[in-house]
Order: sequence, then structure tokens, then C-alpha cells
Amino acid sequence: MSEHSRELRYAYGLRIDSELDLPELQQPPPAGNDEPDVRIRLGAVPSEGPAGASQLGPYLWAGPRQFWLHIPEVARFLVNDGCEIRVDPEPGIDDDSLRVFLLGSAFGALLFQRGLLVLHGNAIQVGDRAMICVGHSGAGKSTLAAAFLRRGYNILADDVVPVDAQCRALPGFPRIKLWQDTASRMQIDTAGLRRIRPGMEKFNFPVVTQFADCALPVRWIYILSGENQPDIQLDPVAGMDRFLPLRDNTYRVSFLKGMGLNGKHLRLIGQVAARIRLVRVTRPDHGFELDALVDSILADIAANP
Amino acid sequence: MGGIYWLASYPKSGNTWFRTFLRNLKADGETPVDINELSTGSIASARGWLDEVLGFDTAELTPDEVERLRPVVYRWSLREPEIGYHKIHDAYTLTPAGEPLVSREATLGALYIVRNPLDVAPSAANHWHCSIDQAIEQMGQPDMALCRSRKSLPPQVRQRLLSWSGHVESWADASGLNLHVIRYEDMLDRAQETFSGAARFLGLPDDPARVAKAIRFSAFGELARQESEKGFRERPRHTERFFRQGRAGGWRDRLTQEQVQRLVKDHSAVMYRYGYLDAAGEPV
Repeated sequence: MSEHSRELRYAYGLRIDSELDLPELQQPPPAGNDEPDVRIRLGAVPSEGPAGASQLGPYLWAGPRQFWLHIPEVARFLVNDGCEIRVDPEPGIDDDSLRVFLLGSAFGALLFQRGLLVLHGNAIQVGDRAMICVGHSGAGKSTLAAAFLRRGYNILADDVVPVDAQCRALPGFPRIKLWQDTASRMQIDTAGLRRIRPGMEKFNFPVVTQFADCALPVRWIYILSGENQPDIQLDPVAGMDRFLPLRDNTYRVSFLKGMGLNGKHLRLIGQVAARIRLVRVTRPDHGFELDALVDSILADIAANP
Repeated sequence: MGGIYWLASYPKSGNTWFRTFLRNLKADGETPVDINELSTGSIASARGWLDEVLGFDTAELTPDEVERLRPVVYRWSLREPEIGYHKIHDAYTLTPAGEPLVSREATLGALYIVRNPLDVAPSAANHWHCSIDQAIEQMGQPDMALCRSRKSLPPQVRQRLLSWSGHVESWADASGLNLHVIRYEDMLDRAQETFSGAARFLGLPDDPARVAKAIRFSAFGELARQESEKGFRERPRHTERFFRQGRAGGWRDRLTQEQVQRLVKDHSAVMYRYGYLDAAGEPV
């Protein structure tokens, strides 16, 4: 399909022209020009990282303007200058698998290249501002996002949350990734949902009517972790102590090393740290009441508007 | 430099105790290290470690895909400036691609801690929040694995344990592996000799006074005292205490005759090999 007959897609305030179909993403707002901000192209990606980039991992290279990632048996990705992602699929791989990593690590890198602070978590609209939940993989972020959705809140972004220099969270696209266990807990029937990859018990859950499609100032950030204690506990983090936890919850801290973005990124973290309320949320490992967790966070938000 | 020494064991066999010793030995301080700061290195199955080195989320991969990538991640640690000491509960297995999970190249050696399965069973039942019979059942299952749910996202990736015997033999008989086996019971009864030998194997200081102090600072009484004062963050929620007894032979009060017989029947060869059965096949 030629560039002109293809419809543009839209995420993080960017108009995206993609050779890979991206049904999860919305179309750009009607006003404005047709010139894409980001081009996603299917084509050859070299089998090694680009010259001038440093190797940060067995499958990962990053330089000041280029980012190279290989997902074995899925694809190689080359992200250029915040405006192009080249995808080189491995033989026989399905489009869903390509999309998962394109919209994850590759987009995360692209947003870094565009100078944004990228957090690993999800963003929920509360009033006219945004609350972000971060935490390590398996901490329960997506379950919590699903619980907020069930309470009627809108979501801005899931997994990759970019924050700009004005401390605003940018909206991604209207879906969350939902594990089967979470869906069962929420009494969501997954029969009609598309798996994020074949063979995985994890689903694309569209949230079209509960999607906040405009950038919102970030007011609260909650760091979620599971520990073996009986109660949900909230501990506010004050002043300069906010800096390190924010850095640690950046989407793939290691990307920054090779991108030469450390200085700029750290300044951005400093700016955000100064403007938000940061709270550590420790919840019991198992069997905790999800509603109680949502209530605790909402109470904290209400007490700290 | 880099590379990895694995601190390997079946769950509930003294791994945490050994890591506490290791931290105290390295710190060589005036007071015992905090049991909540035992950061000797991530456990081999920690998702955070894998994700950071890979640059993409293991949450988006199937357990078999993750397993194929694990040796590659461990090999990457050869580029680290320092040697890593990492806990591992996985059995010594081959990935679906046929290479050792722990990576032959990355592995400097493995310290394997073995404990009498008669004592592992009640401790594992407490840890897994199941009955002793269920724990015995699981210890006998050749395909036992931890974190095997495919419907949710545990913080650790799937770990194949095999049966208790299978676990011990997988490490003890792994070909070409630089291995040092210690017994939990010897960590108690012949502490100085056992811990000194382990320290030497791991390339760490083994001077007697320093080892003796580290043993003292990681003794059961000290660990239990710290846990009762400020808790232990590695304790599973359903258990009252992580450091419960810290002794050998507790099974005599905890197991029924049938339970003992079942464990002996399931694991007699390995129990005999490590001195947990006498020549007549009776528990020692």
C-alpha cells in the first residue's frame, strides 16, 4: 500500500505512518496536516548494531541517534532519531508478536529519542490530572489499571508512559494488556479478546470509551511493590529522595546509557520529581483486596489534591 | 572478569542462611549485616535481571522462549567487572535448545547445598502453605516447577525443580561443572570446616577468625532475632516465620511413620549417597 492511500495512526501525540497494521491505535484528530511524525517501515535491519552505538546487552545496541534491538525468533528493530522504526521480521513470525515488541521496547526507545521521560507503568486520569503507577514487572500494575477502569476511570497509557518537559503524561492508545487471571478476577470474558501473542494467556483489552486522549499534568506517582506483609501500606517519599526511585522506574534504564541521554534525562526526572507527590505502595503478596488497594490510593489522592 | 558462582539448592535447604554468611564474610564488619539487605546478587530467575539485560519484557514471552534466552543473559555477566554470586533454585537442566540453562561459559562454579529431605518436607510445607503430604508429593514429582502459571505474571520466571532427588543429581552429576557440595547438617555441626571450605571454593577470604565471625553473625539465633525485631522481607505471607528452627533432625517430631517411609522410598538412592540413610536403609 502506498504511503498516501494508507491511513495514519496516532499515539503519544504523534502521527504514525506504518507499513505494519496497528489496529490498536486510533486515527489522528481530523485537523492538522497529513505529514507523519513517525514512519514504521518493514525492511532489512543489519544483523549488528550501528557504528557509533554501544552494545548494552546481547541483543541491544544504542547510540545517540540510533537504537537497535533483536528479539530472537521475532524481529530486529532499528529506531532512528525519534522518527523512524525499521522492523525486520524473522521468517514465519506473526504480526501480533511484531506489534507487542514494536509498541513496547521499540516505541519506548523512540520516545526517549524524542526527549521524553519514559516511565514503566500506566497512567490514569483523575479529574483533570494524571496519576501514574510504576513498579517492576509482576508488581501488579496492569491488574491495578484494570481495577481503576472498572471503577469508571479513564486510562491514558499502559506499559509505556511518556512524560514531557511540562510534566504532562501523553496519551498512548486505547487498550490495556490483560492477563487471564486478572480478567477472571474482574469477571471479564476473554473469549472475544485477541491474544497479544499466539499461545499466551494475555489479551488485548480495548478501552475505547474509557480512554483519555489528551495530555494531562502528572500530579501523583505511586510505586507498587508486593511484599509479605498483612496490610496495604502507603509511604510518601519526600524531597530529593524522589529522584532515585523515579530513575529506577524509567522504562529500561539501560537504554539511556548508550543514548547519551543521561544528563538530559536526569534533569527531566529532577523537574518531574519537584512537581509530583510520590508514594511507595506496599501490598501483600497474595490474596490482597484489589478494591482496598484502589480505595487506599484514592484516599491518598483525595487527601493530597 | 565477571562470571557467576551459583549458590544452588532445592528450596528450604539453607540457601538464605548461606547467603547471610557470604554477606557477613564479605562485609567483615563489627556487627551482623541486616537480613533485609542480603543483596548478594539477583536470584537466577528474577525477571528484572533478565529484562534489563535483554532490553525487552520477558512478560511477553512464553516460558520456553524465556528459558532459551536465560543462558545468553548469564553469559552477558562475563562482561561485568566483578564476579557475581547468585542464588538459584532451578535444577541443572538443558534449555529446549540443548544448552545448560546456567551457561557453561558464564559459570565459574556451583556451590550446592543439600539437606536431608526428611527436614526439607515440613519446612517446604510451611513455605508453600500446603500440607506435609502435599509437600512430599511435590518433592516426588519429576516435573515439579515454581512460578509455572501462564495466566498471570509472577515476578520470577518458571523454574524447573524436578523431584528432590532429580534436583540433587542434576547438579551433583552435571558433566564438566566445577562443583562443591556441602550439607546443611554440616553447616550446623562442622561449621568452621564447612564454611571455610565453601569460602575457599568461591575464591573468598578463608582466614579462620574472619570465617568464625561470619558464622557467628549468621547463626540461627541472630537471624531469628532480627526477624522477630523487624521482619524478613523474603518471608512468604502465609508463614509466621522464615527462620523457624534452624536445626537438623526436626523431622522426628514432625513426620508420621508413613511420611518418613514415603520420602525414603522416593529418594533412597540420593539419601544414601549423602549419608541420610545408614547401611541398613534406616534414616540417620
